[in-house]
Amino acid sequence: MNKTIIININSIVFHIEEDAYENLRTYMIEIKKHFGKSEDSKEILEDIENRIAEMFSERIQLGRKEVINMEDVTQVISQMGRVSDFETEILTDDNLKESIESDPTDFHKTSADAGPENNADEPDYSSLIAKKLMRDMDDKVLGGVCSGLGHYFNIESKWIRIIFVLFFLFGGSGVILYFVLWAIMPKAQNRADKLSMRGEKANLQNFKKSFDEEMKGIRENFSGTGEHINRGARSIGDGLGRLFSSIGKILAVLILVATGFTLIGLFVVLVLHVLNIMGFQNDVYFPPLEVLQPTGAFFAVLAGTLAIGIPFLALFFFLLRLVFKTKPMNNYASMTLLASWIVSIVLILYFVISTNQEFQEVSTISVEKQLAKKETFIFSENDMRVIKASDEDFTKKKFNLNLTEKGLSEVLRGDISIQFEAIDSLKNPYLQYNYHAKGKTYSEASERASKISYLVNQQGDHVIFNSHFSINKGQLYRDQRVAITAYLPVGTKVLLAHELDHKVRDIWAHDCKGEQKNYSEWIMQKDGFKCIQKLKEEKEKALQESLDEKEKVEEQTKEGEAAEKTDQTGIAQRADATNAA
Amino acid sequence: MYSMIAVNTQTQMRKGILEYCILSIISRGEIYASDITRELKKAELLVVEGTLYPLLTRLKNNGLLSYSWQESTSGPPRKYYQITSEGMDVLKKLDVTWKELLFAVQISIANREII
Repeated sequence: MNKTIIININSIVFHIEEDAYENLRTYMIEIKKHFGKSEDSKEILEDIENRIAEMFSERIQLGRKEVINMEDVTQVISQMGRVSDFETEILTDDNLKESIESDPTDFHKTSADAGPENNADEPDYSSLIAKKLMRDMDDKVLGGVCSGLGHYFNIESKWIRIIFVLFFLFGGSGVILYFVLWAIMPKAQNRADKLSMRGEKANLQNFKKSFDEEMKGIRENFSGTGEHINRGARSIGDGLGRLFSSIGKILAVLILVATGFTLIGLFVVLVLHVLNIMGFQNDVYFPPLEVLQPTGAFFAVLAGTLAIGIPFLALFFFLLRLVFKTKPMNNYASMTLLASWIVSIVLILYFVISTNQEFQEVSTISVEKQLAKKETFIFSENDMRVIKASDEDFTKKKFNLNLTEKGLSEVLRGDISIQFEAIDSLKNPYLQYNYHAKGKTYSEASERASKISYLVNQQGDHVIFNSHFSINKGQLYRDQRVAITAYLPVGTKVLLAHELDHKVRDIWAHDCKGEQKNYSEWIMQKDGFKCIQKLKEEKEKALQESLDEKEKVEEQTKEGEAAEKTDQTGIAQRADATNAA
Repeated sequence: MYSMIAVNTQTQMRKGILEYCILSIISRGEIYASDITRELKKAELLVVEGTLYPLLTRLKNNGLLSYSWQESTSGPPRKYYQITSEGMDVLKKLDVTWKELLFAVQISIANREII
């Protein structure tokens, strides 16, 4: 039976027999004397202590051999070598030799607990060490991105999480950003990573600190439970973990496939857009692009595709990594992606702002044209796109038009409105055209307005409105509109074709149902344009009401007469009663 | 007296060669100190581990080596050493010197029988 002592070498605790301890202590004092007190020696001693601790822990077998004895110490010392070995074997550096003699006495106190105290007076450089942006796997909700950012910027991770949630609520950009960061930021896998993530120097002291913190956490979690329970809990945890990870894997594969298709779709859309811009027409077209010049539109489409596509690409690579354990994208590639994403967003903002400038000034040109006076006008529409009326081959129509009308489809716009106003019944009817356009400057806007060509065609009773106007070749869309006001003498009748229903303003052509199938019938009156059918209905209603009133009056007079009669009988009865009394 | 002179020369020779060997071993890739010891013991250049640490520390402080901490399955975290680009430059120079020395020694001992 031997007395044991507990010692602590570089944060690891050993039970050591008393005589073995004495031996070890003497050895350590010798070494310390040998290496002296220079800056180098501190590190050398640390290394040697560390190695001794390692050799001790290799010799300890849980359950069988838990105490370091004399034999262990002797073997370790012989492996490490005595000071005499050091001297014969070579080295003793000159600078070390000098300091050998200097004050070895203070070592005595710290020899047993050698290690941490040695460095206690070292200044704390932690604030000076460059931090690394890594995902903290110990403090994570999803991927540890927020806590990693928290370490990097020295902010508590909960604030970062709140910011991300806010980003998510306002437009969902937080989600994309989160996944991008998840893909870019490496995992803090081992202790050295964790230390550099927190910006702490990866030295032994910090290792010990982080290890102690970890142990503390484990102790708190499992306090009072035996080792076997502890293991059981862990294996249950592992099982659950595996189950979740397999569900997660399936989900990840599904999202991976979806993301892949999204990327392909985005690419196809991009190609179709570019073809469109180059002049090969197809149906895939994003309307706001028409406000831009072809080169601008090309870059806008590219930027838009990148802005949407890169987050998807990042998600794709991230999932690829997750599912197939492929290597993470190298920093160069991921930074390029991030940079081009930011550039594309800036580009989109530029297009939005600069294009907005193009809509600053408004110009309207007003022109009046006489109409031949008629009792009844028939207003109808001529659909310019239709060469052969059939809805089935829409694109073919466009191509037909392209061939016959010199690429007019690019410059056709349909923003046409029609209004009706009353004039004196003796005057001649006329149409007022208001050509309207926007531009950066007023002169630009009015030039654009003057280039709009649109006129109505009168053939006898028929007044034919073209369905579209031309903004002329080479002109961009700048909110060009045509507003037509028809000034008609009071009493003029109009048959309004239903295809014009969406062009007329201020009146509800849909509600006006007349006898004609394709037309609604209207008449110009002093107080405005009226639906003939409605007028008829109103008349009938008024007639009905007046009839109703007459009936009411008659009924009331009848009732009055009846009441008088009862009054009279009542009086007579009372008279009888008084007589009887 | 004469034996002291011999010991001194031996120490000088070994010292230079030992540094060259350590740099060579580390230049092959990241390595743990006691693995270096094992190799040097095999080569009979080194007997005890304790000798290595001051050397490594000095080479490191001279900027020829760097190290990183790595967790170990048994015991405390380990220092893994690797060679720096400066160390690589020095090693290349030493390679040249070694060949020159080898040549010089061969020439010098060629016409003499070594007992």
